[in-house]
Amino acid sequence: MLNAARLHIIGRRLLQAIPVVVLSTFIVFGLLKLVPGDVAVTLAGDNASEQRIAEIRELYGLNQPFLLQYGSWLAKAVQGDLSNSLVSNEAVLTSIQRCLPHTLLIVALALFTALLIGVPLGIAAATKPGSWIDSIVMAIASLGVAVPNFWLGMLLVAFFSLQLNWLPATGAVAFTKDPWASLSHAILPALALASGGVAEVARQLRSSLVEILSSQQVRTLHAKGLPPSSILWRHGLKNVSVNLLTVISLLANRMLAATVVVEAVFAIPGMGGLIVNAAMHRDFPVVQGVVFTMVLIVVSLNLLTDILYSVLDPRIAT
Amino acid sequence: MTDVTTTTVAYRPRRMRRFVRWFVSDIRGAISLTFLLLLAVISILAPWISPYDPVAQDVNAALAPMSAEHWLGADDLGRDTLSRLIYGGVASLYASFLAVAIAVLIGVPVGILAGYLGGWVDTMISRVIDSFLSFPAIVLAIAVTGALGIGLTNGMISVGIVFAPQLARLVRARTLVVRHELYVDAARCFGGSTGRILWRHVLPNAIQPVIVQVTLLLAAALLAEASLSFLGLGIQPPDPSWGAMLARAYQNMEIAPEQMYPPGLAILFTALAYNTLGESLRAALDPTMKRN
Amino acid sequence: MRIFDLGQRTLRRRDILALIGGGVAAGALGLPALAQEAKKGGVLMVAAPANPSSLDPATGGAGSDHSILWTMYDTLVEWDYDTLKPKPGMAKWSYPNPNTMVLDITSGIQFHDGTPLDAEAVKFNLERNRSDQRSNVKPDLASVESIEVTGPLQVTLKLKNPDTALPAILSDRAGMMVSPTNIKALGTDTDRKPVGAGPWKFVRWNDNEIIVVARHENYWRKGRPYLDGIEFNIITENATALRSVVAGQNDMAFQLPARLKPVIERAKDLAMVSSPTLYCIQVYFNYARAPLDNLKVRQAINFALDRETFVKATLGGLGEPARMTLPSSHWAYNKDVAGTYPHDPERAKKLLAEAGYKDGLEMTIGGYTDQDSVRRGEVIQDQLGKVGIRLKFTRGTIAEISAQFFAQEKKFDLLVSAWTGRPDPSMTYALGFDKGAYYNAGRTADPELSKLILESRVSEDLAKRAEVFAKIQRITVEQALSAPLAFQFELDALSSKVKGFKPNLLGKPKFENISLA
Repeated sequence: MLNAARLHIIGRRLLQAIPVVVLSTFIVFGLLKLVPGDVAVTLAGDNASEQRIAEIRELYGLNQPFLLQYGSWLAKAVQGDLSNSLVSNEAVLTSIQRCLPHTLLIVALALFTALLIGVPLGIAAATKPGSWIDSIVMAIASLGVAVPNFWLGMLLVAFFSLQLNWLPATGAVAFTKDPWASLSHAILPALALASGGVAEVARQLRSSLVEILSSQQVRTLHAKGLPPSSILWRHGLKNVSVNLLTVISLLANRMLAATVVVEAVFAIPGMGGLIVNAAMHRDFPVVQGVVFTMVLIVVSLNLLTDILYSVLDPRIAT
Repeated sequence: MTDVTTTTVAYRPRRMRRFVRWFVSDIRGAISLTFLLLLAVISILAPWISPYDPVAQDVNAALAPMSAEHWLGADDLGRDTLSRLIYGGVASLYASFLAVAIAVLIGVPVGILAGYLGGWVDTMISRVIDSFLSFPAIVLAIAVTGALGIGLTNGMISVGIVFAPQLARLVRARTLVVRHELYVDAARCFGGSTGRILWRHVLPNAIQPVIVQVTLLLAAALLAEASLSFLGLGIQPPDPSWGAMLARAYQNMEIAPEQMYPPGLAILFTALAYNTLGESLRAALDPTMKRN
Repeated sequence: MRIFDLGQRTLRRRDILALIGGGVAAGALGLPALAQEAKKGGVLMVAAPANPSSLDPATGGAGSDHSILWTMYDTLVEWDYDTLKPKPGMAKWSYPNPNTMVLDITSGIQFHDGTPLDAEAVKFNLERNRSDQRSNVKPDLASVESIEVTGPLQVTLKLKNPDTALPAILSDRAGMMVSPTNIKALGTDTDRKPVGAGPWKFVRWNDNEIIVVARHENYWRKGRPYLDGIEFNIITENATALRSVVAGQNDMAFQLPARLKPVIERAKDLAMVSSPTLYCIQVYFNYARAPLDNLKVRQAINFALDRETFVKATLGGLGEPARMTLPSSHWAYNKDVAGTYPHDPERAKKLLAEAGYKDGLEMTIGGYTDQDSVRRGEVIQDQLGKVGIRLKFTRGTIAEISAQFFAQEKKFDLLVSAWTGRPDPSMTYALGFDKGAYYNAGRTADPELSKLILESRVSEDLAKRAEVFAKIQRITVEQALSAPLAFQFELDALSSKVKGFKPNLLGKPKFENISLA
């Protein structure tokens, strides 16, 4: 499957990814340095003397030139050291290692839900374009894109947690600690997150399926007397897999973003909570670390998508 | 000059007719447009039609249910929910337009420059665009808001910055196509300055997809505003916005759950209207895309 | 009027007043009887309202830290739950003469790491608290001249001036003993690896998520603690915290806002605890500069505020309108000045006009981002707006905004925040109003006030001290040095399996009496 040409492409993509990572962290680093006010004063806390504030500036390297600060951050980050939180002094890597699994679980579950609901809806709509099923699916899709995730989350909490008491309203449990509890905590946030995904999957699947099913080739198969279901499975879905892959990778990126607010609704100690807290405290190392991690995730996802593309559709490997 | 004037006059009735035909044929787009225009009218008339001052507190009406006095009830400080919904609409619309305006102001020129000039400028700009697009938008908006300071305008500037690369990429791609069109070459041969060529020939031809994208971005900006305000990084109290109203309603969910619905539905319908209108415009403006 | 609501037990307001006023022992509540039946074991799940500023008592600064710190650190002196009257903790104190304080330490106490808690350890702690560069409690021990070890279990403090507030001070951060062995090993990195001598020892702290403590097997009080451990799940939005208790994920949520009372009442199997505290919601002034250097402006603000409405709007009635920085039930309350500022918008407008602000004025104010602080700010903004004072809010985290107001930056004219109360009233005035005090943003003070604060610490007799505090309050109220708004009642929600919990006047829960059914 992976011949030399493909390896070459992957290598090139990897090389292209490096400047993206460096540049995006640099952009965020630069934006954070625009901050008016002095973090050192806040850090020094109550009763701090001028001397103490100067010490803190020294200690955290806040008095160094901008490029030097960025350089030393990057040099350490490359070695896996994301330095420590300015506020709590916890290693940023530790915070991320703790928060990331919660976020990933929700995003993964949401993606799964989006496919689980979106794919059948898309197929149903595509097999009978213009029918009432199609209209309903498209209406659901439009609503799914427009509904604010966090509002949906609030409604889910109101109904499933407070009214019916079926699922927990808040918090998260590590999957390794108690898989069942972990999933039961993740279901509502994942549902809230999945609404846009369901819509996107259904829409994309419908439009690409409609295109393929109305193509000359498929018409010929129809004429030959093949049953519609086998045409759908053999030719339709196989051909839309590339499109679906694009949607999934796009969705993963979007869900990583949307999870920030959804986590706030459910009080989940994930990456969203981490960055919101850090941004409000101007805890640069944490903000920087979270952004770095997210960029790495998105870039790797894109890379993975590219590789899968070339596997699914050899024509792309040019 | 006279020539131009006559043609314009001649076109007008036909345009009108075209609009009417579209309006009738695309019922969803028409409803969306009507809804948005209605929203705009309500926003403009807010001071006259809102039944109460949106920030006036009345302890005795705290979390009042829906009644003749307060059609949509009142929040936990006894402020009329309908009035806050109307004024919140003003804030939410202002915020989404501000964010998109900033995105256009940054994104369109950058995209045109990159596409038209090409070479190392294009390579560099494209790299920066890729970097921006490689992390989740709201995360960046939060980080930037943290840096600029909490507030609606700052929050929306952040959102605008985050949206700009999307437009830039779109405009760049479009410009790349237009750049090699015959009439642009012709203009260049006739010695048109770069600025003039960009303004007269490239921009108008790149603008159609931008209009569609802007409509879709308005919906995204509306949701971004709601998210930031929900997190407390957007509008500052006591001024209402739909997102801030939701945050407050969530606080009182057990006592007055009905307070969650008005702002939530307002966001939902407005975003829906933008999206639908965007899709309609895309269908109307893009002759290659047939409606199925 | 029911204030205490401990399951079946109900106490009337006058009983509490008697307790606070007269300093009657806590036994009156009849809780020790309950404690005898307490079952050992189990882990208590608590929704905690804030991530601690530090787990080192000397370096932290937030009033919300105490409840967590007390699980790991015992104090030299403790207090009575209902009156905050100091009582012996790990040490007994005495004053052989006004300028000398002797501490006799209970024998056989060990830190979690096995280090004995002896005179050397206490001296190490007190020296660290009053002189270490990173210490935030230096001002508390300002009256200490020298600390000497005068026996294996005895420490003698020489004082610069008589200081009868010291026992109460040693029941606060300054009296929390940390293991010298641990501190010496950690150097300056002491915030996250606490070792004390409290009933539970530290297990882990994940920022903004959880703090876990587990039973200290060699705890000096035999048979205690009841709980095997406590997990503090940090949830900053109160409504979400309560939701977690209603849904059974946590056993207890504390320091809840009053507006959540109906939610607790409606929930099945939840007990509600509500009791008065010293927690005073107030507007701080920076009166060292214009416009608040003008007495008339400060008075105008006090007249413009409608405290009854404030209590109703922000505390759902579960609070007491504040006339000064102590509640009316406190032994040092001065009722003569309580009526100084009735709600009188006309008077406020007149005072503003006299001060030269006929058309009102704009002032900057700092506030916090959580929903309850926001709500308070909105009510204040509304009330002051009615007399022409337009407030320009800047909101941020507690740490950031407080630092911007109190520390060097001096950013806003006003700050809406709270004074979380201290065991001894002299601490409140020394830290909040004295010359150069940190919580006095302007740092200036009437020399008379500084003199009286020192004088309040001379006698051990409460009646005599109350006389001095009456004079202090007259100055702070008549000079309108702040705008106290309301004393917030404590409101806690407990699952029915939590037994033996007892609130205290500080409003910062201690978990030592709790057991699980």
